[in-house]
Amino acid sequence: MDATFLMNNLWIVVCTVLVLLMQGGFILLEAGSTRMKNAGHIAGKTVFTVGIVSLVFWAVGYGLIYGEGNAFIGFSNFFYGDATTMGEGLAGSVDFMFQLAFAAIAMTIAFGGFAERAKLIGYVIFAILFSIVIYPVIAHWIWGGGWLGEHGKQDFAGSTVVHLTGAAAALAATMILKPRIGKYNKDGSSNEIAGHNQVFTALGVLLLWVGWFGFNAGSTFGVEDAFFGYVALNTQLAAGAGAIGAMLMVWAVTGKADVPTTLNGALAGLVAITASCAFVEPWAAVIIGLVGGAFVFFSMRFFDKRKIDDPIFALSVHGTVGIWGTLSNGLFATPELATVGRPGLFYGGGFEQLGVQLLGVVACGLYAFIVSWIILKVMDKAMGGLRVTEEEEIMGLDISEHGGYGYPENLTRPESKSGA
Amino acid sequence: MFNTYEGLKQWRKDTIRSVADDHFQLNAFHDQLMYQTVTIAMDKIEREQGNPPAPFAFFVMGSAGRFEQSVWSDQDHGIVFDGNENVQHYFLNLGEEVSRGLAVVGYEWCEGQVMASNPMWCRSTVSFQAQNSDWLDEASWQSLRNFSILFDSRVLYGKEELLERVKHEAFSRLEKHPSLYARLVDNFEFIKKGVGVFGQLLPDQRQGMKGDIHLKETAYFPYVNALRILALRSGTTAAPTISRFEALKDTYPFIVEYEKDFRHLLDFRLRFRQGAENYEKVHLLPIDHLSKEEKLELKYLIKRGKQLFAKSKSIVRKELKL
Repeated sequence: MDATFLMNNLWIVVCTVLVLLMQGGFILLEAGSTRMKNAGHIAGKTVFTVGIVSLVFWAVGYGLIYGEGNAFIGFSNFFYGDATTMGEGLAGSVDFMFQLAFAAIAMTIAFGGFAERAKLIGYVIFAILFSIVIYPVIAHWIWGGGWLGEHGKQDFAGSTVVHLTGAAAALAATMILKPRIGKYNKDGSSNEIAGHNQVFTALGVLLLWVGWFGFNAGSTFGVEDAFFGYVALNTQLAAGAGAIGAMLMVWAVTGKADVPTTLNGALAGLVAITASCAFVEPWAAVIIGLVGGAFVFFSMRFFDKRKIDDPIFALSVHGTVGIWGTLSNGLFATPELATVGRPGLFYGGGFEQLGVQLLGVVACGLYAFIVSWIILKVMDKAMGGLRVTEEEEIMGLDISEHGGYGYPENLTRPESKSGA
Repeated sequence: MFNTYEGLKQWRKDTIRSVADDHFQLNAFHDQLMYQTVTIAMDKIEREQGNPPAPFAFFVMGSAGRFEQSVWSDQDHGIVFDGNENVQHYFLNLGEEVSRGLAVVGYEWCEGQVMASNPMWCRSTVSFQAQNSDWLDEASWQSLRNFSILFDSRVLYGKEELLERVKHEAFSRLEKHPSLYARLVDNFEFIKKGVGVFGQLLPDQRQGMKGDIHLKETAYFPYVNALRILALRSGTTAAPTISRFEALKDTYPFIVEYEKDFRHLLDFRLRFRQGAENYEKVHLLPIDHLSKEEKLELKYLIKRGKQLFAKSKSIVRKELKL
């Protein structure tokens, strides 16, 4: 069998593992950014919802994205189990696994908007519905031969498909769930609900950073010309620039080099470069990362001022910056690298590609937000509330939803005192 | 008459078994014990500090306030006085003496400091009214809990009218801000799950409680919380859940069928827990001590409590057009 074929497939399996490992990054990031009493819950629900997404993706998700269909949806290849191989490109099962890992990332991002106050059953139901009617639709539009792909939209590894989609769902969730108890005061001012472990958050970011090489460089789908190295280079530069951009910005504005903002800056750099990592030059990757890092700081303040409680900053990191990353192609895509669509504004491509990118962002963002909103509103009504009771939120989801603390030695369960 | 707390302790020890299987006898006995304790404390304070500087009432809260104590109970009490704040120290001293006495007689100190020795629970009527307003204005989880604790109260010694005044002031505040009823419902929305999807009883997993059903949290609170919300809604000052059932049956006829379940639950609790050796254990019911019929009985009572709470909640929401 052809060595290139084997290497391509091996490379993508390696990347699949890296992307799957990003879930570990999310566990650490999300748990570290929230309070101790919810840490076990965050870890457990992440693993458990990856399980749900896997089964749903196998049953219908992959078929809805890549099956035979029309410009809006695919509709074949359900219950995927193709063991044959074409001898070129990727074996179907390898491609399937890689795509599945991406779908799980979008889901975990969306669940950032649920943090610290949603019922566990809400995670279960939304994981199923998100994996059927939200993610596959957008992935089909851009990657599955749908109308946005035909239009020439550039989204190399998924700034829109994965990050913006996840963030739009997180926005709907966090708006419907409303802010956590204690987040806002009566006069409208906000309180910082600090995460319990910055070291976890940092390790989470680093794990995501490493996994991102699977995410971006793996999106080459092969090893030919070793182009994945170039993609990895751009990814690394943008992540570094993002951390620097965010730290400089927070320091310049507040006088303190806030650690969570800096960490979010690194992630912002990664999210921003995801769409453009194969289409831009390294200097542009630095700019894209720097701007992403700066944006994330202002975006965090923006949502906070509007009383949208975003516990782990998913809206800013994946949403605002996901939009910036997608649009940045329209500015920086070079004629040589723009294998899809047109070069960007700064390379004589005019506004055409920027327009295509904008259309994609608006269409996908709106679709994901509106459908998520409808689903979550219906769930809210049907379940008698998507949010846990006040008492459960105060005692923490570890104990209320799972019966045991992530840190049993550090926390004791409060006795329920109803009437003294 | 008893002159010492130790004497009362002995009386408790000698008598409690004979009343432990009857809810009314048991609670009347608790009332006697607590009343005698306050009398001894009062005598002592009067000897040391003179007569009370203002009219006052010593009241009990929590399960004592609701006339729903089991064989063991902790202390939950307060003092309201009709005077200005400079007489507070007298009543704080009284509160401290009563707390000490009750601890000797067999009522554990309240971990949450809901005791008349705590300035928060020893105030003038005006100050209690102001505190109630603050709690309701704040409308946070804890402030509404405090408000509800105060509302489940009953005067044991002194002028009943003082506590009534505090409660009536709260009613008028609630009427002016009806959204607070919804907040109070939210405050008690959590019901510890007692029955699983297969219809099995779900024992506690907490250390020291494994294999036990926490009767108070699982079965008893939904009834108590439902009736408290309805009592607040209709301006009923009585604290015992059974009195609330009586007082509210014309306004809310649907509750009538649940009253017998609640009485049954009180008996059920006594049937199994009269041998409990302390306050911690008194709410715990080891599942494997129950027969099949008793398990069914308990599951039914749990289910009915949940139903009652859900109905009460939906009625309040409907009345408020939420």
